[in-house]
Amino acid sequence: MSVAPSPQRHRPGLAAGLQPKSVPLAWRNLLANKPRLFRSASGIGFSVLLMLMQLGFEQAFFDSSLEVIRGLDGDILVQSIHKYQFATRDPFPRAVLDTAGKVPGVTSVRPLYVDWFDFFWKNPFDGKVFLVRAFGFDPDQPVFSFPEVNANREKLKDANTVLIDRRARRFLGMDRDPAEAELNDSKVKIAGSFALGPDFQSDGTVIMSDRTFASLLRGPAGNLSEVDLGVIEVSSGEDVAAVRQALSKALPNTVAIFTKPQLIEFERKFQADVSSAGPIFWMGTIVGFVVGMLISYQVTYTDLADQLPQYATLKAIGYRTGYLLRVVLEQAACNALAGWVPAWLVSIVLYYFIGRLALLPLRMSVNVTLVSLGLTVGMCLISAVFAVKRVIQADPAEVF
Amino acid sequence: MKVPLAWRILTYDKRRTALALIGIFMAILLVFVELGFFYAVPRGGLLLYDNTRFDLLLVSDQYEYQAQPGAFPLSRLDRLRSAAEVQEATPIYFGFAKWKGGEGGVWPDVFVIGFDPASHVFIPESIDRQLSVLGKTDTLLVDSATRPIFGPLDTGRVVEVGARNETIGGQYILGTGFMGLGVALASAPNFARLFQGRGLDIVNLGAIVLKPGVDADRAAADLAQASGPGTRIFTRHELEAHETAYWTTRTSVGIIFGSGLLISFVVGIMIVYQIVSTQVGRQLPQFATLKAIGYPDRLLVATVGAMSLLIVVAGFIPALAAALGLYSVIREQTLLPVTMSETRLFAVFGAALGMALVSALLSVGALRRADPADVF
Repeated sequence: MSVAPSPQRHRPGLAAGLQPKSVPLAWRNLLANKPRLFRSASGIGFSVLLMLMQLGFEQAFFDSSLEVIRGLDGDILVQSIHKYQFATRDPFPRAVLDTAGKVPGVTSVRPLYVDWFDFFWKNPFDGKVFLVRAFGFDPDQPVFSFPEVNANREKLKDANTVLIDRRARRFLGMDRDPAEAELNDSKVKIAGSFALGPDFQSDGTVIMSDRTFASLLRGPAGNLSEVDLGVIEVSSGEDVAAVRQALSKALPNTVAIFTKPQLIEFERKFQADVSSAGPIFWMGTIVGFVVGMLISYQVTYTDLADQLPQYATLKAIGYRTGYLLRVVLEQAACNALAGWVPAWLVSIVLYYFIGRLALLPLRMSVNVTLVSLGLTVGMCLISAVFAVKRVIQADPAEVF
Repeated sequence: MKVPLAWRILTYDKRRTALALIGIFMAILLVFVELGFFYAVPRGGLLLYDNTRFDLLLVSDQYEYQAQPGAFPLSRLDRLRSAAEVQEATPIYFGFAKWKGGEGGVWPDVFVIGFDPASHVFIPESIDRQLSVLGKTDTLLVDSATRPIFGPLDTGRVVEVGARNETIGGQYILGTGFMGLGVALASAPNFARLFQGRGLDIVNLGAIVLKPGVDADRAAADLAQASGPGTRIFTRHELEAHETAYWTTRTSVGIIFGSGLLISFVVGIMIVYQIVSTQVGRQLPQFATLKAIGYPDRLLVATVGAMSLLIVVAGFIPALAAALGLYSVIREQTLLPVTMSETRLFAVFGAALGMALVSALLSVGALRRADPADVF
């Protein structure tokens, strides 16, 4: 590539005036042909949309089972050592929580009762009976951070009064604002609703006081001596990890003690181990990436072929290969953005509607945004590197 | 001349056409994969039924789907056993118990199926062969697809299940479907011992085998009368439709894979469109020349159509081959019964033709604008 000596040395004035800031050249190339821009943006955009949908589903899949743990209002959570996932019953003696309350640094210890297999909800609109998830807590010791649950907790003090999940699966009829329903053959009053949504274990959720929980489960004399989860708040200023350490010394080894992030991680790991959601959605993402790469290669290659005389001219007047390479890569990055931005916007709309339809917590997150942006720019740059060989080899003498 | 011309345009720039083929190959492959999952989920839900011997299934009228079947009194099934059409009527019991021997001290839930071994109600040869093992007290057979979280599944291992010590008598091959992470078979007496206080008078499913030559639909109607209120009877056909509807409409499966399907279809269109329209753009002077010497628009449009069609068909064949390979990988990895069916094959081929058609229509716009006077 020793075509000409560097122009800077011989004609500094001209070069300084001629050499535009690099982005405008890539930018102008991009805008030079609007229909082509539209074509490339839509081609790249759809492959990005495919990636965004798959990434979004993957995240929503995990989120749907983590949503409820995130909604627990505590720093440290205590559960049976044998519990392998959140959605299973494995109660432990309530007395353990009394011990936990005496550990220094602990502000409050509140019990949560959960059941997945024994609460049968009768859809008040069609009389069909379904299994639902039930939570019970002492209305004076709230365990959730859901505002709608806490706003209504006083009402839960009335016997057989419950709150229902209006994002539950539609066949439960919880989204139709019923005033009364039946739970385990007892009439229950519905005092309000919250928006949690189903997960892969349960179709809907009912929240009630601990007393209602016990009486619906085991009759009026139902006792509360066994709990499913202890929700612990650490005094402000105390180190959560240190309090967790102190708790694990004070409590029997029949319980496991997690900080909230640890329990979320424990559940995420379980879901990742047993479910095929990860590989299923990653496969879709990879297909989107490869297809996007091909489309982007096609776009850059065609573009370079069309502009070959112009590139050759630039070369002939002394621009270095490195500069041309930079222009091409910048243009590829511009193409990537031109496809990514509309796809990102469209996916927000799709997330909203599909999330409502499928009752999945589909949300645009920083994580999905960055991963999709990285993949998009990556696929466009890789394909540009493959396509650019042609420009580097362009001989000004041959082009004309 | 349309096809030869299309062929020549495509083979003129082989590199570019090869790229198009890879793209369309990926898009069709993705359509296959999404569709495979879409069908595999209900098939997973039907796994146990596919391996159970029955013509009619008696269930509670609260039956939702296999994992939420409800229960009914055994006497209902006994009533049908004496009916003229019925050859055999076998009760099947379901229960969840804590498997107190999981990996790292956890107690995963095991799905236990209770039945009378003498009934031969389950089809797999690996179960039939080990029926005598089930006769031993407190002995279970475990499904070979039970997850590692349950710890080793070696024959002879004693595990506390619920409140009893159970011996693993062996493994059988059926698959866990959506019954749970681990599944075990027990004889009815062992099942009753395991689920104390439940007894064998409350049944989850009644598998009914009809006498040879009896029409299942008619028998279903007659027996529904005889079995009385609180129960319902499914023919195999009805049951399959019911379970499939449950998985595709009541869970998010339909929407997740349905939307994936739709987007991969559009991506397929985009990639064919991209290739064909670029080719049309590059050959515009030639097309304009053809127009100038009197070729009608129709013929040029047909050429573009033939180009799209050639690309799609050429992409479809390797995609089909790759899909078959991928299906077997997915079967192993996810334990979902992802299989190719003829209808699915033709449906995807139809969708691929649809892709070709739409992208041809999109590309033709540029061609119509090819004005001989403008081009030169």
